[in-house]
Amino acid sequence: MDLTSLLNWIIFLPLIGAVVVLFAPAQMARSITWLFTFGVFLLSCALFGPFWDGSAFKGEYGVMQYETIVKWIDVGGFHINYHVGLDGISFPLIILTTLITWLSAWASWNFDHWNVNRGPKGFFALFLLLETGVLGTFAALDFFLFYIFWEVMLLPMYFLIGVWGGPRKEYAAIKFFIYTLAGSVLMLVALLAMYYTSGDAVGGDGTFNLIDYATKPAIIQMFNDEATRFLGWNFGQAMFVMLFIAFMIKVPVFPFHTWLPDAHVEAPTPISMILAGILLKLGAYGFFRVCYPIFPEAAQSLAYGVALLGVINIIYGAFCCLAQTDFKRLVAYSSISHMGYVVLGIAIMTSTGFQGAMFQVLAHGISSPMCFFLVGVIYDRAHHRDLNRFGGLWLAMPRYGSLATLGFFASLGLPSLCGFIGEIWVLLGTFNAPFPWAKPMAVVAAFGVVLTAAYILWMIQRVYLGKKKEEYAEFPDADARETAILIPMAALAIFMGILPSYTFRLMNGTIDRMLNDVIGPAMAVAFGG
Amino acid sequence: MPLGLFATIWMPGGEDLARLAPVWSLVGTIVGVLLAALIVGRNWRVAGGVTMIGALVTAWLAFRGFTATEGHWAGMSPAGAAPMLVVDQFSHFFIFLLAIFLAAVTWLWFMGQDAAVPDISAHRGDATEFFVLLVGSAFGMAMMVSTTNLLMIILAVESASLPSYGLAGFRKKNRQSAEASLKYVLFGAVTSAIMIYGASLLYGRYHTLDLAMIGRQIQIEGPTVLMGVAMFAFMVGVAFKVSAVPFHFWCPDVFEGASIEVTTWLSVVSKAAGLGLMLRIIAVVTSELTSTDALQYVTMAIAIMAALTCTWGNFSAFRQTNMKRLLAFSSIAHAGYMLMAVAIIWKPAEGALSPAHPAFSAIVAYITVYLLMNLGAFACIAFVYWSTGSESIDAFNGMARRNPLLMVAMVVFLFSLVGLPPMGGFLAKWWLLAALWDAKLIWLIFVAVFNTVISLYYYARIAVAMVFRDDDQAPLRAPLAGQAIVLACAVGILLTGTLWAGRLKDFSDARSRDLYAVTQKSPAGSVAAAESGTAD
Repeated sequence: MDLTSLLNWIIFLPLIGAVVVLFAPAQMARSITWLFTFGVFLLSCALFGPFWDGSAFKGEYGVMQYETIVKWIDVGGFHINYHVGLDGISFPLIILTTLITWLSAWASWNFDHWNVNRGPKGFFALFLLLETGVLGTFAALDFFLFYIFWEVMLLPMYFLIGVWGGPRKEYAAIKFFIYTLAGSVLMLVALLAMYYTSGDAVGGDGTFNLIDYATKPAIIQMFNDEATRFLGWNFGQAMFVMLFIAFMIKVPVFPFHTWLPDAHVEAPTPISMILAGILLKLGAYGFFRVCYPIFPEAAQSLAYGVALLGVINIIYGAFCCLAQTDFKRLVAYSSISHMGYVVLGIAIMTSTGFQGAMFQVLAHGISSPMCFFLVGVIYDRAHHRDLNRFGGLWLAMPRYGSLATLGFFASLGLPSLCGFIGEIWVLLGTFNAPFPWAKPMAVVAAFGVVLTAAYILWMIQRVYLGKKKEEYAEFPDADARETAILIPMAALAIFMGILPSYTFRLMNGTIDRMLNDVIGPAMAVAFGG
Repeated sequence: MPLGLFATIWMPGGEDLARLAPVWSLVGTIVGVLLAALIVGRNWRVAGGVTMIGALVTAWLAFRGFTATEGHWAGMSPAGAAPMLVVDQFSHFFIFLLAIFLAAVTWLWFMGQDAAVPDISAHRGDATEFFVLLVGSAFGMAMMVSTTNLLMIILAVESASLPSYGLAGFRKKNRQSAEASLKYVLFGAVTSAIMIYGASLLYGRYHTLDLAMIGRQIQIEGPTVLMGVAMFAFMVGVAFKVSAVPFHFWCPDVFEGASIEVTTWLSVVSKAAGLGLMLRIIAVVTSELTSTDALQYVTMAIAIMAALTCTWGNFSAFRQTNMKRLLAFSSIAHAGYMLMAVAIIWKPAEGALSPAHPAFSAIVAYITVYLLMNLGAFACIAFVYWSTGSESIDAFNGMARRNPLLMVAMVVFLFSLVGLPPMGGFLAKWWLLAALWDAKLIWLIFVAVFNTVISLYYYARIAVAMVFRDDDQAPLRAPLAGQAIVLACAVGILLTGTLWAGRLKDFSDARSRDLYAVTQKSPAGSVAAAESGTAD
């Protein structure tokens, strides 16, 4: 069976679903969405083959599976293609996206109880549109297409937070929108600059091909040449910084993180799950796909700054968590702290660092939606999120309590659960990295683990342990739907923690190729020269 | 009178007259509206109907011109004299756009007749005057983009402006409308005076009305202070039409005071005509220049004006609560974006100058998409006004429930105005930024993109009112024919942003190639340019 066009179906099926939702009766909206997201998840599982048996990793960096190239805009010297494909970096994220979107569609099942007098059609149509945007961004190999999909996500997210969110939803939604747009216009400028500069490099029309940027010798030469200038700056560094800012707003990295707690707290539970589980990963994916392979020399020269931002994220995020009294806000800040490991792992540009960062991306993609859903479950019952008012929930809701403890321990980074592997890989990688500042950074970042343990354990103590409180004694335990949503995430958290090699094998091939073929030579020049 | 005298009077040939068919059609429409009033009496349906037919015929005639292979044609004058009128793909493009828009505004006017809240419909009896003024200003705008002659430029600007003053004050018993009209007249009169003063200086110095000849003289004599003053004064009148900062003060008041149909009309074509004229003046005058000295100042002055216009417009829009006023500032900002492209029609290159083609094309694409966005947005405002009598943002509250279709369309317009993909507004902005990069005006790119971020805030405020808020206003009933227009605009914007993106670029390349060819001095250059342009 020919699977080449499967990826296109996966990207655009949700869009078709959105149209179906708009024309179907309102009471069927959630079932249709559930079916479409589940169907997309099953289809994406059919993509496993070449990544599982390793055949996807033959050849140099830039060999893609399920690749489609169709000319889209081809006029006036512009060659913009619909170009999608998967490698070891994007494939795991596609699976993560389809899985988490399906689970959050399920988490939207109690839509009727959200007390917004707004029909479900708009919500589920936007929800599916969002999925198309995310999948398209992960799959796009043409920078222009990447940018289009990147922006397509903004509008649905804005409305999903703004209409169905909490009390301060308008503020949170516009803050999210303006922050992200400010980043993406920088990406737009970089897009222009890279297009024209690549044209100068090959002496003709430029290209938007993200792989060509990283692998074509003439373009590499031009992009990394000292003589190439952008407003008087070194071209590579200027582009790296602009793209880095664009992506770091999404991750988010200190000091552009302030939109995240607001957006997360105000968004409804399933949207928080998507926001934390998938949308933050787009920033990390941008680092992996755009910043590092294309501008390795600039990345290497700016590694100190990037690593420092990562460490600040880890420590600052963790301290913020300690200060929170709102349950959801705590989980939101813990996302900032955890994404700090991703930034630190990428910054050191070694195999261990990249693997750790990528693993952390996936691990956080499992554990943070789980945490947000756990918060959502309790919020549905208690209608408040004040940490200090909870207590003894484990006794009242034993099944929920057990799963919650598991989810939060995964987030904490307990050995044998998924969070541990990514963090330890990043810390070990940083300790061994060929930078003079790496060891002190690793030591400081390791304190983040202690702080994480502190805020998670303190939170568990306040919410789940202790005597049964009367006002919560009558709470029903997690029902079948809630358990069914939690089980896949819990299972994956355990599986990834105990047998991490099965996750690593999906991506290691590409990471090695990227380091050997693209980043390694540049680093060798930088260190050797 | 001896018959021989007639032989000495120059008459244009039939072929020349045929070239100007779209303009004749506009003139014919004016006559038709007036004659209809004589024949069938003052009937608003007939007056509107004649205008509609005239507009569609004009559009068709201009559309036919798209396939013409003639290139740039300048004439309508005796041999040896300065050409009075020019016809090329750019003038065809503009008249086509103008005529389509004229038809759309007439359509809006018809729908306004059934409105619950009488606006301009209260003046149904004056339909003849209204349409004569409307088509009269359309005629003036058509002439503005069809000439390179000083005298004709002044006549064209005046014949576009004078009817517009009347139109702005057409809500006769409305105090705001009268104030708007007065402000418009005063501003217009002053800027016209300055413009004519500039023209007289130019004529006095260079002894010709032909802009190309003036350019040649400047090349020979080199830039002088007098030339600078004269050119600046001359351009003031054009900047007024474009509403570029600091000649924009009339714009918000006029837009707020005039009836919605008139505001719609002025917001797009009046500015587009000004831009077209500015583009043509600069293209023709500079086509004779080979030294960069004078041009650098011109480029820099326009670039700074563009940056100011766009930033000023966006920041001023922040606090507006009246929708028409808000979109007035938005239109100032968009005029700023388009002016950016005017600044780079000549770009510095190694040694000699080379004309930048992308800039012309970018302006054409921008105007095309801008027409769709503004027409749609103003139509939505019109529907709200006609049923609620309010133009404030609050009147849009709860639109998601009151009329979901209109809400979705309006969201498309608003975010296309911001310039977000997958809407056409993004593609238009993209070609503009690409042109700016091509001309190495990178600081202007940053101005443009950060203005995009700023503008998001106030466009989103409207979306917030429509989608996030709800104060239990009654459902909004919009005329079916009106929803059709709005839907057509929204679909057009989505298509130009996605599947038709290439077509938009092809179209704007083809429409701007003649103007580009003018800037190529040698005839061989213009032929090559014509061949390389893609005909559709």
